[in-house]
Amino acid sequence: MTNPVIRVDGVSRWFGSVVAVSDITFNVHPGITGLLGPNGAGKTTLLRMMTGLADTSTGTVSVFGERVRDNPPLYRRLGVMSEHETVYGFMTGRQFVRMMGKLRGVATLEAAVDRAIDLVDLADAQHRPMETYSRGMRQRMRLAGTLVHDPEILILDEPLNGADPRQRVHFKHLLHKLAADGRTIVLSSHILEEVEELADTVLLIVNGKLAASGGFRAIRAALNQRPYHVRVLCDSPRKLASEVLRLDSVDAVNVDPDGAIVVLSRNVVDLQVELPRIAQAQKIRLKRVEPLDDSLESVFGYLVEG
Amino acid sequence: MGSVYVLTLRQLSGRWRILIMTALAAMPALIAIVMLNSNAAPSVDEFELAILSTMLAGSITPMVVLAIAGSAFANEVEDKTLANLAFAPIPRWQIVVPKLLATITIAAPFILLSAFISSYVGFLADLRAVVAVTVAAVVGVALYASAFVWLGLVTTQAIGIGLLYIVLWEGFFSGFVEGVRLLSIRHYAIALMHGIDPRRFAGTSHLSLPFAIGISALVIGGFLYLSIKRLRKMDIP
Amino acid sequence: MTARADGQTVRQSGTVFDIGYQSYTGEREGRDRSRRAVFKDGLRIALGVGRGGRAKVLPWFFIGLLALIGLIMAIVAGAAERLGGPGSAEKLNLPSHSDFYSIASIILFVFAALVGPELLCRDRREGTINLYLVRPLTATDYIFSRWFALLGVMLATAWLPQFILFFGLTAGDPAPAVYFQKHWLDVPRFLVAGLVMALYATNLSLLTASFTTRRAYASVFLVGLFVITSPFTAGMAQEMKGAAGQWMSAFNLTNIPVFVNDLIFGQVSEVTEDAPARTLPAWVLVTWYLVWTAGPGALLWWRYRRLTP
Repeated sequence: MTNPVIRVDGVSRWFGSVVAVSDITFNVHPGITGLLGPNGAGKTTLLRMMTGLADTSTGTVSVFGERVRDNPPLYRRLGVMSEHETVYGFMTGRQFVRMMGKLRGVATLEAAVDRAIDLVDLADAQHRPMETYSRGMRQRMRLAGTLVHDPEILILDEPLNGADPRQRVHFKHLLHKLAADGRTIVLSSHILEEVEELADTVLLIVNGKLAASGGFRAIRAALNQRPYHVRVLCDSPRKLASEVLRLDSVDAVNVDPDGAIVVLSRNVVDLQVELPRIAQAQKIRLKRVEPLDDSLESVFGYLVEG
Repeated sequence: MGSVYVLTLRQLSGRWRILIMTALAAMPALIAIVMLNSNAAPSVDEFELAILSTMLAGSITPMVVLAIAGSAFANEVEDKTLANLAFAPIPRWQIVVPKLLATITIAAPFILLSAFISSYVGFLADLRAVVAVTVAAVVGVALYASAFVWLGLVTTQAIGIGLLYIVLWEGFFSGFVEGVRLLSIRHYAIALMHGIDPRRFAGTSHLSLPFAIGISALVIGGFLYLSIKRLRKMDIP
Repeated sequence: MTARADGQTVRQSGTVFDIGYQSYTGEREGRDRSRRAVFKDGLRIALGVGRGGRAKVLPWFFIGLLALIGLIMAIVAGAAERLGGPGSAEKLNLPSHSDFYSIASIILFVFAALVGPELLCRDRREGTINLYLVRPLTATDYIFSRWFALLGVMLATAWLPQFILFFGLTAGDPAPAVYFQKHWLDVPRFLVAGLVMALYATNLSLLTASFTTRRAYASVFLVGLFVITSPFTAGMAQEMKGAAGQWMSAFNLTNIPVFVNDLIFGQVSEVTEDAPARTLPAWVLVTWYLVWTAGPGALLWWRYRRLTP
């Protein structure tokens, strides 16, 4: 495996007696990493420490092997978009992006500004003062300001706030493209479906601690104490239920009021093989087989709610 | 650095603010004109104390500078836009210095004009005296600006603390307690004025010119250093 | 209804499970409750209550400073009585209740200049005023509640040192009961004089704050106005003489409530001793005070009453 781009090592942060982040360690590699957690979990505090905006109480954060805190030259390679609407209302969009580019020492400034504004599809509005923008427009222009210097790492806190559905699709394509170009992207979001769709790796933060990390399916598989729920609709539910119960990999079978059966299994792979075999042997017609908790939402729910 | 400088100029120069600063800065000049045209014209000591020391150096200059320099970083912290500058891959002094220069650029013209007119009228166009007063006033602006820029970075109560400093420390204590003058920006500026034109202000007691020059450099450099250090160490909102 | 694979239709049923949420069934209070809530919130903002240690430093520093001034005055008067015999404090013309507000006026005004913008500017800057205005609360309710809160804090700040001074002078007198008998009228006098100062400071502070969303500019502008008009009007008044000089002197914003204080106590304070406006008729001074108090108050209400969410 390549060296991690971002290393977070034993990081904690407390404010008085409140521990916001507690002893978190993880590595971030190129691709898209999603940071997920309920409100108040410590995601923003963690992102602020990863970008050097806030100091750690203990532990270290390094980016490209260098300490991120009090290391301004590193920001040439880092693009950060915070959750706050941090724009200057009196500036036009173009002036804002241009200033961001100039501060980051972009060489061919006007071309870079044009490219960044085109990426977020705001060329028509770039000469208007930002105080006249809608929230979604401000968010997009901030993203343009984050991309203008073509950073290798993007850290985005709630980047889709205020974005309409079309913009969300556009943004997802953009992120996939940037990740495919070899960039490292860390994004924090409350929207499970988007993180599920976008992120290769998920970091789940709960109560300031890292509850899980990795692909969400791998996380789900690691939740041994939680059997999978698989709902099967067929023409002989009771017959199927009694046959399926004999399997070692099945913990229990419930029958729905509408006749479907819900199988609780700790080994879905085994169930995947046995279920069609049983159906064929017993001449049962399977109409629908669907996993009920094979989603990031379920994983999130199990880990957050316990 | 130019971007930060221009940004700060734009942030801190609004139409109403300029009007209010103009009104405040005009007071010493107006009073000087009235005083000198009266039947009982004041002595040099009286004019220096009332107009230059108490009003210009002790009230107008610090208040005008407080409104501007106190907001240089404080507004960015309040609006949470400081991160835009913090993420620039430049040394922190290249953020602090242009902020300070911008506040001086905005505040200095008002005070410079006020000092020039007051002294021109008060000292009957004596060039040396006018230069002494004007240079001292501009240095006073730089001194107060360096202190209040730092204050705006260090606390959200910058304006309250700044006003207390102006009213109580500069306005009250430094006028009565001899030792306090050693820690008073107003008296540094006054000492510079006295030192540049000693024959005009021979009768008044003041700190020595070398001391005033040295302490002014120390104050400006010291607060600049503290501001840079603060920006490096603080959690950016 | 749901269609099944066998062609039969099934009527769907729904059930709401009790997962703990229950709608509020208690008493619903009306507009008065909202007003009181805004008033209490205003008190908390002004005094830094519930906002961490740093928010308390400045307001309590001012209150402490003024209380200290009252205490020092009481100690000095007590010491004079003990060392010089009964009546020494009066003979030496040491500052007393009538002088307190003229001595402390600038501190009171700076305090009001700092607290007033805290009450109004933030809500408009951050848009939280809309949260108030969509409640059963009018814009007038909002501004009156904030106004009462600041007035309450200013009254407490103005009265506390006077009570300390009064108790100090009474306790410091060799015959406290006699002192109290002779001077009990000072209490209603300083209460009214304190109200005069507090109303004036409150209205000017809130009116200034209503013109900007930046607390810094409101505070500095107001203090600048107080600090600058004093020498400016004094200088101009000396030159103008006669009625013109009197009226120029009357524009010294720091002295406007102090003239009324002088009338309440029946004696001229050191601060207004040399002011030409002092010689204006009493009704003129009171009316002038009302212009500078009721006027800003009315303008403040007019500005806010038009606000909508």
